[in-house]
Amino acid sequence: MNNARATQSTQAQERAPTDWKTVAMQRRIRKRYRAERRFRFFGIAAVVLSAAFLAFLLVTMVAQGWRGFTRTEIMLPIDFPASGMMVERAQLDTAGADLALAGAGLENAVKSAAAAAFGPGGESYISDNAWVSVRKAIKHDASVLDRKTQMRVPASSEVDQAMAGRGTSEILAAVAKLKNAGLVSRHLNLDFLKVSDSTDPVAVGIWGALKGSLLTMFVTFLIAFPVGVLSAIYLEEYAPRNRWTDLIEVSINNLAAVPSIIFGLLGLAVFLGSWSLFGYRVGPLLPRSAALVGGLTLALMIMPVIVIASRNAIKAVPPSIRDAALGIGASPIQVVFHHVLPLAMPGILTGTIIGMARALGETAPLLLIGMRAFIVTPPGGLTDPATVLPVQIFLWSDEVSRGFVEKTSAAIIVLLVFLLAMNGLAIYLRNKFETRW
Amino acid sequence: MNAFALMFLVAGLGLIGWLTARSRAARFDRGGAKRLHSLPAQHGFFVAMWVVLPALLFVAAWGAISPALVKQTVLEHPAASQLPQFDFERDALLAEASRVAEQPGVAAFDPVAQQLVAPTRAAKVRYDWIGTAGAILLAFAGGAYAFTRIRASFPARSSVERGMMLMLLVASLIAILTTVGIFLSLLWESVRFFGQVSITDFLFGTHWSPQVIDPARPGRSLGAVPLFWGTFFIGAVIAMIVAIPFGLMSAIYLTQYAAPQVRRWMKPILEILAGVPTVVYGYFAALTVAPAVRDLAVAFGYPYASSESALAAGLVMGVMIIPFVSSMADDSIAAVPTAMRDGSLAMGATKSETISRVLIPAALPGVVAGILLAVSRAIGETMIVVMAASGAANITLNPFESATTVTKQIVDLLTGESEFDSPKTLAAFALGLTLFVITLLLNIVALRVVKRYREAYE
Repeated sequence: MNNARATQSTQAQERAPTDWKTVAMQRRIRKRYRAERRFRFFGIAAVVLSAAFLAFLLVTMVAQGWRGFTRTEIMLPIDFPASGMMVERAQLDTAGADLALAGAGLENAVKSAAAAAFGPGGESYISDNAWVSVRKAIKHDASVLDRKTQMRVPASSEVDQAMAGRGTSEILAAVAKLKNAGLVSRHLNLDFLKVSDSTDPVAVGIWGALKGSLLTMFVTFLIAFPVGVLSAIYLEEYAPRNRWTDLIEVSINNLAAVPSIIFGLLGLAVFLGSWSLFGYRVGPLLPRSAALVGGLTLALMIMPVIVIASRNAIKAVPPSIRDAALGIGASPIQVVFHHVLPLAMPGILTGTIIGMARALGETAPLLLIGMRAFIVTPPGGLTDPATVLPVQIFLWSDEVSRGFVEKTSAAIIVLLVFLLAMNGLAIYLRNKFETRW
Repeated sequence: MNAFALMFLVAGLGLIGWLTARSRAARFDRGGAKRLHSLPAQHGFFVAMWVVLPALLFVAAWGAISPALVKQTVLEHPAASQLPQFDFERDALLAEASRVAEQPGVAAFDPVAQQLVAPTRAAKVRYDWIGTAGAILLAFAGGAYAFTRIRASFPARSSVERGMMLMLLVASLIAILTTVGIFLSLLWESVRFFGQVSITDFLFGTHWSPQVIDPARPGRSLGAVPLFWGTFFIGAVIAMIVAIPFGLMSAIYLTQYAAPQVRRWMKPILEILAGVPTVVYGYFAALTVAPAVRDLAVAFGYPYASSESALAAGLVMGVMIIPFVSSMADDSIAAVPTAMRDGSLAMGATKSETISRVLIPAALPGVVAGILLAVSRAIGETMIVVMAASGAANITLNPFESATTVTKQIVDLLTGESEFDSPKTLAAFALGLTLFVITLLLNIVALRVVKRYREAYE
């Protein structure tokens, strides 16, 4: 063994220095440089393709979704005096105005006006909710009831799709005629942000889902933030090193990697299931499909994220600050709550916002705990049936009607804007308050 | 009064307790010759703690038991004798009565339920008042007890700090409770499932069709092998074929080649990929990628290609995992001592030779651990497969055919209309338990490897 190595080294010494100018060597070097360039190219390609995929995703969503923020409106001539509606003028200024107008047969009046204006079958050109915008106009200015007037009302889903060139040849021809007469046009639709789910794609909105998301996030924050920060403080500052604290650490690290759907199963079994305890039948503890249950489930899911981020932030505060505070007589609790925690707060908040952003985009656990109902009225409280924005996106993506595609993409744009804003805030906080000790 | 109003009330009482106790303690300070043991604010916190904690514990406990008390009272009402004996129907009627009782001006659909509305409302109001009175009484009692104890020499600070410590400990125990809760709830339902279906049928059966279950032997159509294969095929094979080269090569390029300026911009951009909600990926996969993949398959000569192919779901999942693989690879490459890299470069190796023969082999344990974590994330990923993969359970090697996964089946089983105790719903929990155990094992192995590897270079 030793012998062999010795001969090898003598051989190496005796060997003539490499002649780099020979053809063989030149070729070899060229080959190695080619390999180098190839490798580098693969690297660039990987980065560029990944970024391109992201760009493609975003561009697709925006291209499909921008149309969801607009709607087709159709100019509808209405002759109110001829429609035979009996409305008490005095009632229009009271809270009973909606009821009075509905009772006077406004819906039918609007439909027959459409049939009169666009010929037989004309009522199918306007949305089923068109009379609601007429009602709004009447409440705004009651004098229209005395004359023949024109109003822009939302068009039906078929007309809306025909504007984008989809539909049967009859409807396409009819819409082309209306378009030439300047009667149909597209307008910004702010109702999309103000109303809730519906079966008609032109009448849907995201407000119900958005409100459900906000309520759910409220519960999540209220539970996960204090519990996460307090347990991070305990583990980082006070916990003795023993088997129990090791167990806590291991379970937090593992919880951070548990698939989100498992938390849905937990919520389903614990909060919504009924189980017997000492012979008593307990549960369901909480109402199904409520923001409260969703918030609790998501809180358990993001708590490990907050704990881990908070621990890192607390760890980054230099020990000299603790020593100085202890030195002038602060108690261990005062050291943490007066000195360490304020200094660690930016890091903790950054981690919390990232955790909350994750909770905001989460769908699977909420599907399991039943937040997938068809919700027409926005939830009024934490225990009302609610849905959230990602689940609404999932539900709309299942709809067959073509009109839902653009609405789904529009809802995705809203969700992404929220997430980008949250992540941007986190980055801003980190850059602004980051301290290098 | 509802629970939230009650909590606000208790918190308000706590604030009052804090203010009075603090001002009293401040007066000790001015008049007495002796020094206070604690600051006035600490006396305030001591009293506030005694006001708030017992009352809140009572509110929580009352919230848990009062529905049962209401039910008991309503069942004793004469009208309750008309209720059906069957538990399920009776509970539905009681729930309807209770729902109507909370909304004035609404009538119940069922006449029996309508009769029970008034007694339910009365019982609710009564127990609400008892709860409110109890909470306020406890708040005052606790406050009075604490208030009599404060005096100049009283060590309020130690008491408050003991209380704080207890709170911190309880907060950190919640993590353990959650883990135990997950494990027990999954285990409990799975045990019930395996009481009806034999464990070997479930784990080794190759036929999965939960839509048609033979009541005599439910295990025949609940064999989970096709699901395990589909999960492995989509999450660990197709997704990784995308994620590993892309993630690894972008990490290498960004750490070794790119200018700092490029790195500073590209790294966050790639991380956005991980921040996009999975439901958006799912929608994208179902609407854009899946039809494209099917057209591709038809062009390749598979006329019967599925529009819910394993390939579409796997591809998009792989893209989602890229930043995950890349940041793990980034960390482990950065942990390789620079001396090794410099040594290789000094010997005349080109950059790519250094990377592929020195850096990657040295960083391999970390990279492998990262890949294991990525696999664990991919197999637990739900929305992409729910929206883009099919429900048909096939064992296939052809990426253009459909395959289904464990997570997709859990969602399908639990969102359908079926009662809670059927083998169908319970199967979801058994699948969940399997998923939990597998991801847990992957994580434990990965963390072990990372830890060992870090120690090797420190």
